[in-house]
Amino acid sequence: MVLPALVPAVFVVAGGVGAAAMQSLGLMPLVGPVRFSADAYTGQAEDLFRALGLSLAIAAVSTVIAAVFGVGTALLIVGGRWCGRILAATSAATVTIPHLIGAATVGLLLADSGVLARVLGVPPELWPSLVGGPWWLAVVAEYAWKESAFIALIVAGTLITRVARFDEAAALLGATRWMRFRFVMLPLALPALAISSTIAFVYTLGSYEVAWLLGRTYPEPLAVMALRLFNSVSLTARPEAAAAAVLTTLVSFLVVGACFWALRKTALWR
Amino acid sequence: MTGLDLRRPGDPGSTLTLAHGRGRLLRVLSTTLVASWFLLPFAPLALWAFANQWSFPSTLPTEWGFDGLSSAIAQGALPALGTSLLLSLVVAALATPLGALAARALTFGTVPWPRTVSIALLAPIALPPFAAVLGLNVLLLRAHIPPEAGLVLVLVVMAVPYTTFTMRVAYAAHDIHYEEEARTLGASRWNILWRVHIPLVAPALSRAAFLAFLVGWSDYVVTVVVGGGEVVTLPLVTASMAAGIGNDSAVAILSLSAIVPPLALLALAGFAGRRPRTGAVQKTPNVGERP
Repeated sequence: MVLPALVPAVFVVAGGVGAAAMQSLGLMPLVGPVRFSADAYTGQAEDLFRALGLSLAIAAVSTVIAAVFGVGTALLIVGGRWCGRILAATSAATVTIPHLIGAATVGLLLADSGVLARVLGVPPELWPSLVGGPWWLAVVAEYAWKESAFIALIVAGTLITRVARFDEAAALLGATRWMRFRFVMLPLALPALAISSTIAFVYTLGSYEVAWLLGRTYPEPLAVMALRLFNSVSLTARPEAAAAAVLTTLVSFLVVGACFWALRKTALWR
Repeated sequence: MTGLDLRRPGDPGSTLTLAHGRGRLLRVLSTTLVASWFLLPFAPLALWAFANQWSFPSTLPTEWGFDGLSSAIAQGALPALGTSLLLSLVVAALATPLGALAARALTFGTVPWPRTVSIALLAPIALPPFAAVLGLNVLLLRAHIPPEAGLVLVLVVMAVPYTTFTMRVAYAAHDIHYEEEARTLGASRWNILWRVHIPLVAPALSRAAFLAFLVGWSDYVVTVVVGGGEVVTLPLVTASMAAGIGNDSAVAILSLSAIVPPLALLALAGFAGRRPRTGAVQKTPNVGERP
């Protein structure tokens, strides 16, 4: 019964990664002879590392912001009453928005002639270059915004099922608000937080459209670099695009593997 | 992720942890802050959508109108909306039963190497979509698989982790004895499926289908690479407009039309989820009567 789901999943994952790896090593050329070579990696090693560093930095910063906002939102959601309901509704609404649409609206909001600049009355030349600027601020803001809603819902979903009794028991025993957060809520939320943050991190690492729309052209993150090379007319570009794809995949799987290994190790799991 | 079973005001036993005085003020303040963090990016859409002209320094549009709407329609917004809906519904219709089947088999232990299988089914979450399609594109082209079919295949695989996970949570709490009871009483397989099994997991099925719908609805990069220009969805039209200059009101209209359908589904699901138990129990006998 698992086969109908398993066969396509294995085809896409193994086929996709396998074909990308073979292309990157020159074993699956579009034209010309099959020739094993690591040129696609060594020839652009510097660019690959710069792109990887940038991708990791964007993903790390936006995930940290998203995790902080997400846990705060989750606590407010779990608190219930109308505060909780409003935030549950707004974060659920945020999760449903496609990232590309999110990027478009963040662009309308934060560009130097954007709505925020108009409302605050700041002329374009004084407005910090958030969109396409050197610090990738609009890109980070978009990811942090969308992923904080995702993390909030996952963490709130876990907390709601089991936290109320512990929280009330701790309150009955005289725990202050801070103590209840530090010793009850946070430990209970940690596995869900770790998993949802890892998913957000890996998603951001492998995502294309936000950085493409709101970022600058150089340096570029791995996904943008890979798709630019993929669409380029030059013959050497395909293996180079595949090399960037393989590198991103490796890092993603390493990060996810490390997360699950750590969860198992620390017995936080279940 | 959606349809959370929230504690509501008046739920028993929550007064101990209620905030009072300053804590309460803090709570209301932080709620306002967080809510505006989530809602702020929607503000430009509402303003730009019906702005014909909005010259720079003014804080509000200088001329209201429907130019954005007509320019979005001229760019093919309507067929793109249709394509997006169709694609997302097909992905949901395929990924939900696949996830449910796999989840049921994994939960009730009829699968060899269950851990390896679960990891393989969850792996697409860790796989960057652009990386998967860069490699797959060549395979799909060489196998002469039409772009539409390839696109659906990749998106279904990307949705399966979510549907499988949602359905596993549901089956973990699912009491298979109801089905055994029905079987003892002489119900056919078909009757058990429609009258017992599906009604019991229906809320989870709709959650899973919604998540799968979102995977199709939100996708950009897979559609661009695998669709190869044949499949033009709403995000593609929005992207080409947003990458240009001076299309702000059309971008706002396109964004709104990409935001509203999933929100409507969400509201619908939330509304249906509000009156569960009693309604579901009464409805159960009717479900099987559908042809």
